[in-house]
Amino acid sequence: MQEDLDRIEDFEAKETKHSLPIGWLVLFWGLIIWGVYYLYAYTPAFSGWSQEKAYEESIKVGDKK
Amino acid sequence: MSTDYQFDNQTVNGFIVSSIFWGVVGIVIGLWISIQMWAPSWNIPPYFTFGRLRVVHTNGLAFGLGLGAIFGIFYYITMRLTKRPLMFPKLARFHLYLFNIAIALAALSLFAGMNQSLEYAELEWPLDIVVVIMWVIFAIVIFGTIIKRREEQMYISLWYIIVTVVAVAILYIVNNLAIPATLTKSYHLFAGVNSANVQWWYGHNAVGFVFTTPILAMFYYFLPKSTGIPIYSHRLSIISFWSLVFAYLWTGAHHLVYTPLPDWIQTLGIVFTMFLIAPSWGSVVNGYYTVASDWSKMRTNYLTKFFILGITFYGLQTIQGPTQGLRIVSQLIHYTDWIPGHVHMGTMGWVTMTAAAAIYYVVPKIYNTTIYSEKIANIHFWFVLVGQLIFSITMWITGIQQGALWKATNPDGSLAYTFMEGLVKNYPYWQLRTLGGIIFTVGMLFFIYNIYMTMKKGKTLSHEKA
Repeated sequence: MQEDLDRIEDFEAKETKHSLPIGWLVLFWGLIIWGVYYLYAYTPAFSGWSQEKAYEESIKVGDKK
Repeated sequence: MSTDYQFDNQTVNGFIVSSIFWGVVGIVIGLWISIQMWAPSWNIPPYFTFGRLRVVHTNGLAFGLGLGAIFGIFYYITMRLTKRPLMFPKLARFHLYLFNIAIALAALSLFAGMNQSLEYAELEWPLDIVVVIMWVIFAIVIFGTIIKRREEQMYISLWYIIVTVVAVAILYIVNNLAIPATLTKSYHLFAGVNSANVQWWYGHNAVGFVFTTPILAMFYYFLPKSTGIPIYSHRLSIISFWSLVFAYLWTGAHHLVYTPLPDWIQTLGIVFTMFLIAPSWGSVVNGYYTVASDWSKMRTNYLTKFFILGITFYGLQTIQGPTQGLRIVSQLIHYTDWIPGHVHMGTMGWVTMTAAAAIYYVVPKIYNTTIYSEKIANIHFWFVLVGQLIFSITMWITGIQQGALWKATNPDGSLAYTFMEGLVKNYPYWQLRTLGGIIFTVGMLFFIYNIYMTMKKGKTLSHEKA
């Protein structure tokens, strides 16, 4: 009995060594930049935002109405 | 190229058959609990109430169907990519027996109501020890085989296999650290917010390293094997792999948005969760571009559509999931029926679709035959696709409705709707979900019949040869 073995070239052929798609790179770096912004904006020690304050704020808006 | 030894296909086969068996149990119980949601008389206390059946459903399918298929297919892939038989084949066979014993004991203990009350980590401490022993055996066989490999280059599937083995070990051991009180009762080592944080670090990564990385290992292996097209970009595979693995373990806190968990931990969890869209879509793009070099494979090879639809649902899942983590979305849909809708797009649309296609590929190979019926496979495909879509879409609709009703307030700040008013509005959607579940189950029965007949055909053929 014999086994047919996989050839690595069938999975990663030389001619398929494509560079990274530009759209995907924009997504990749875009999410990192967005992450830095979100981390700054929603961390109490950086921006002063907090879950508690946001809740108080939301009740105030309700009172005005 | 070929060699004069034979791979240990019996163990692979054993895992596939076991996986299908536990899959049937899990799916039947899934249907049952979906009926219980709108027909409470289907609860039969104490063993067959929703609370007990639900955990048998989740454990049975995630660990019985899911892990069973993963173990078998990992052994299949590893032997072929390392160009050698498994190291310690007897240990691998023992792994198969221990796996079935563990799942059977898990089901019995959950029916009996023994439960750590940690989601996806319900099993009590004696069974946790059995699971850890089983996992160590699995790790020894996989790592032994990879270390002694006869192909120097490690294809991306092997990397996904390695991270699955390592990550699940760490996650499972840490979250199951508990102080035993009796043989069947223990208390989590962590308390309060710490317990919640560790639990969801585990809970979310159970999804990551049982429903994502192992299925990607299958996808990257069987897509080129089925279509004969090499993967579009090896570089994209590798970058996606490392960024996925780096980001995943930070994301658990998105399950605890608007809880007493410190704000900064929630925010950090959300940031890493959103970032996960990039590596996830790296694999989606890689899959699409691979088949894009010859779209006719969608028609000429019956498995291609399973993989392409599978990766499409993976793509949708990995946009929907991170979006749910955002505070603005979480406050509407968290704790609603949207969540089971989300989960089941992943499990029914991506995991089961891809794993079933892998099994369709593997079984004829190890039985040295061809698939019994491509036509039945196509029927199976359409049934599970429609069933899954009904399930997901009904739950999204009713989830949004539920969230909106819960949040609606009168001008004086009091709630506009009672809990019961919101609950009653779920009924038609829950009934439709049962219908979706039945359609999905019929599809799976076609799959099982097809696999059974393929095995039978293979056995007859080998008898004829002898």
